[in-house]
Order: sequence, then structure tokens, then C-alpha cells
Amino acid sequence: MSQSLAKECNEAKERYDTCFLKWYSEKYLRGNGTEQNNECSILFKEYSSCLQVALKERGIDKLLEEAREELKDSDSTYMGKKK
Amino acid sequence: MKVFSNTETFNYSWEEVSTANWRKYCPWNEKSTHVVAVDTISRSVDPATGILRTERLITCRQAAPEWLKSMMGGGMDESQVFETSYVDPKTKTVTMVSTNITWSNLLNVQETVVYSPLSDHQTKFHQEAKITALAGGWQRIKNSIEDTLVKRFRENAAKGKEGFESVLAMSRRVFAEEREREKMGLIREQAGNIRMAA
Repeated sequence: MSQSLAKECNEAKERYDTCFLKWYSEKYLRGNGTEQNNECSILFKEYSSCLQVALKERGIDKLLEEAREELKDSDSTYMGKKK
Repeated sequence: MKVFSNTETFNYSWEEVSTANWRKYCPWNEKSTHVVAVDTISRSVDPATGILRTERLITCRQAAPEWLKSMMGGGMDESQVFETSYVDPKTKTVTMVSTNITWSNLLNVQETVVYSPLSDHQTKFHQEAKITALAGGWQRIKNSIEDTLVKRFRENAAKGKEGFESVLAMSRRVFAEEREREKMGLIREQAGNIRMAA
């Protein structure tokens, strides 16, 4: 798997990525992955809480917010929703 | 603005390609050494459509040309890209939209990548990048910046195809081994049951 930009989050990321890939290939692609809470949710929370701290420390959280705003239109294009 | 576009065919099913796509930047891919980190920011499944939406932050390290560095000052070797992707399992489409978050006051790069099935065993990859230099000043400089990036996209596209091919081959092997292990486990279990019954 790929690394995290923050070394201290690598272990949590690895655990989550492994779980996600299994879920994606074995459940989601077979049509059994629509529930919001799945077996990887807790692992994601652990990874994410580590990552959020690292993003804030590096000042990336604000840049992400801007980029998200910039790509906002793709949500309506690709999520199949009307604006 | 300059546009770079590229289409490739992979001789793998859409399911295989869309799965391997999540580990495209991993140690198996020796051609993507410019990507140093991939972080997942958020991920959710839309209950109405079944579309999986993912936000990722991709950290790259690739040397910028010297003339650009001298113009902009140092610190140009690391850059970050924000990507939002959509997997639609019904139409079998993966769409990834990304934009640069580094030097965004200097230039804007928006890339869209789509993976869609050509047949049960083939998947099409289509990539389109729009590159716009924003820095005020001479058009000549803007043109050079845009041309440099188009060239970079072209180089990375060739390496990207090669690198992703090795990830796909490795993925197929790993999944086959896993299935084999599961089968062996099942056989052992059955053998155990037979022994117990005897």
C-alpha cells in the first residue's frame, strides 16, 4: 500500500486500506456494500483522526477546503443529482 | 489553456481495474515513484444511487524545471493534488476528478480520468487534463509553463500505463493466491469434519 503523508499515521492507514480493499472487491463490487457503516468504519475513524491532526499542523486543511469548493460541480455531474 | 488527453486499453476486466486502481501507487508500481503519499480524506456510499464517493490527497515529489524554480523560488519539488472519485457500480464507471492544491495561485490543473468497460476482459482508460497558467505577465511565460506541464503529463502517462500494468498483473496473482488459500482452507475444514464424523 501507499504511505501516508504523515509517518505517524502509516500503521492506522495500512489497517484501513487493507480492510477497504477487501470490502470493495468482496462486497461492494458484488452489490453488498450500500450500508454506511461497514466493518472498516472504526478503522477509518482511527486513521482519519490521526490524519486530521497532521493536515492541520501542515496547514493543508484550508487548502483542501478550497479545492473541494473548486470541484463542487463534479458532485452534481457524477453523483447523478440535479443542482 | 492547454489540454492533454490520452486513451489506453487494459486487458483486464473493469472489476479488476477498478480494484487495482486503489493500489495504483504502491511499491508494486516502480514507475510511480513521484507519488510519495496517498491519503483518504473521506469516503461514503450514496444510499440512493450506490455510488462510492472518495476524497483523496495525493502527495508528489518531482523536480520542477530549473527556470521555473528560479522564477518562483525554491520549494517546488513537492506538490499536492486533491482528488474526488466516483465509482458507479451500476454503469461500471470510475470517474476521478483532481485539481492541484499547491501553487494554485500560479496555475490550475484539472484532470479527469474515466475507467469504463470495453468488454468483459477489457477496460478503457481515458484521461484529460486542462492546464492553465494564471500568473500575470507575459503570455510567453504562461505558454512555457503550460507547455512544460503538458510535456510532464505526456511523460507520466507513458510511465503510468507501464506501472499500472505491473500493479494489475500483481493484483491478479495475489487474488488468485488468496482464492487458492481459501479453497485449501475449505478442503482442510471438510477433511476435519470427515475425520470428526468418522
